[in-house]
Amino acid sequence: MKRKAVPYILLIPLVVAFALFLVYPLYKVVETSFYKASFLNPFYRQFVGFENYKWLFTFRLFDPKLSYFLSAFKRSLLWVAGSVGIKVVLGLLGAVLLNSKYLIGKKIYRTLVIVPWAIPWAMAAMMWAWTLNSEFGILNSILMHLHLIKAPVTFLAKPSSAFITTFIVDAWVGLPFMIIMILSGLQSIPENLYEAATIDGAGDLTKFFKITLPMIKPVLLTVTLLSTVWTFNSFDIIWILTRGGPIRATETLPIAIYNISFLMVRFGGIGKASAMTIAQVIFVSVIAIFYIRTLEKGVEA
Amino acid sequence: MKRSTRKLTKKIIYQILALLLIAFLFLPIYQMLITALRPADLPWKSPASLFPEKITLQNFKSAFDLVPRLPRYLLNSFIYGAGVSIVSLLVAIPAGYAIARFRFRGRKPIMIFVIYANMFAPIMLLVPIYVIMKKFGLVNTYLSVILAGSIFTIPLSTWLVTSYMQTIPKAIEEAALIDGCSEFSVIHRIIIPMISPAIVAVLIYAFITGWSQQFILALTLIKSDELMPITQGLYQFFSRSSVRWNEMMAAILMSTLIPVALFLVVQKYIVRGLVSGSIKE
Repeated sequence: MKRKAVPYILLIPLVVAFALFLVYPLYKVVETSFYKASFLNPFYRQFVGFENYKWLFTFRLFDPKLSYFLSAFKRSLLWVAGSVGIKVVLGLLGAVLLNSKYLIGKKIYRTLVIVPWAIPWAMAAMMWAWTLNSEFGILNSILMHLHLIKAPVTFLAKPSSAFITTFIVDAWVGLPFMIIMILSGLQSIPENLYEAATIDGAGDLTKFFKITLPMIKPVLLTVTLLSTVWTFNSFDIIWILTRGGPIRATETLPIAIYNISFLMVRFGGIGKASAMTIAQVIFVSVIAIFYIRTLEKGVEA
Repeated sequence: MKRSTRKLTKKIIYQILALLLIAFLFLPIYQMLITALRPADLPWKSPASLFPEKITLQNFKSAFDLVPRLPRYLLNSFIYGAGVSIVSLLVAIPAGYAIARFRFRGRKPIMIFVIYANMFAPIMLLVPIYVIMKKFGLVNTYLSVILAGSIFTIPLSTWLVTSYMQTIPKAIEEAALIDGCSEFSVIHRIIIPMISPAIVAVLIYAFITGWSQQFILALTLIKSDELMPITQGLYQFFSRSSVRWNEMMAAILMSTLIPVALFLVVQKYIVRGLVSGSIKE
């Protein structure tokens, strides 16, 4: 056998798998976005051109200013900003903390920090639902014991608090990944940089902004971009906690896509859901380009 | 003197901050634990007591009465996990070997596509995947969720194999090739034993993902109770009007132990694979 052919033969399973379950479905999404189609009658579909894309910007539901799609998209962006913001800030803090020589019991902390990473998202969401329970949940009880609140809070019943609560829960799910990844970046910083800075009389904050932050910038950028995409795609947490409610306050783009494809079948759902999916693919692809560019420069650079 | 007190204050502050972080990360886990251990006939209090007033193991038994199919759901999750990890390995080992060891045309586009594929989520492809599965008559079968689920574990699995293989010197394989071994017997006899840590990492990573994160795929593709994974199975009880929290939390606790234990074993390799994700030569 020719040696040149070997890598291509080895890649056959990968290419077949991607072709069948990634590229072909993606092609189907693009195609369906030009049809009026629904699960109600899967054998009937009608070519409608750009109607579904027009629908994205014209169909309104409750919101007088923005179309259904745009308001879901806007909600997604805010939700992602909230969640990724927490993940990055707490992730950085946590990593610096777990890397510090002042902390006793680092090994135990490092193991403990990872635990939530391994809990299935759906399970985590159910655990949180009970933790957040307004009557009997432990969070309200803790906040009341600390005298931070006087009466129990109904975290998931009001639109604005449900919005904030769900992205905090999502941040909880993604935080271990952030801490561990940033930590591994911190560990690759040579110790002598800090020693030299100490001799020069630099304080802790100066060291953090002049050495730590620039040194871990590549890692930080990579994980932030990756986390942005994953957070944007987040479904399980919101679905289990609020199903997109109350009054659509947590209906992010993935939830809207699911609702339109499987629940609002009468609207000719899957054509419209496909058009929304294309918007999501575009968003994800834009972030992916930045992500791949960062990787090309080399994470260890 | 002044210096040592400053050091001490720092130590205390760091310790407190670390404990606060752990408190946040363990809040729902603690809630699950005390609820699972609390007698189910004890009336709830509002505000809830922060520590268990009484402890019982009864809930772990009665969880099986509340969710009669609990063992079945766990078995199903095991099947999904095992299936996804086998498919991922079958794809990732040859692909990872090809990317790590050969310089061929189209190598970089393949690498970039692998990274790009890692950014896709089931929700984006749910409808066409459902339609494809329906066409092949696979809706409501184990195979549908295993095949669809593998697509989302193959990218990172391939990446883990590639990055691990890049740390191993080529000399042994080259010697074997000179001795007249074929490429495929090199994979079989030399590569696979050498990269066994990466294989274990992929196996467990894909297993956990298959076990845990197939919620939306199962929600769409699985209709019959007999085939539901544990997440979907328990969700059915969760979405009913009155939840029996004690038994529910006991059930969640039992079904989370396996992925958590496995994850702690391999997290080092997964982190290494994720961090060494450079496409630079």
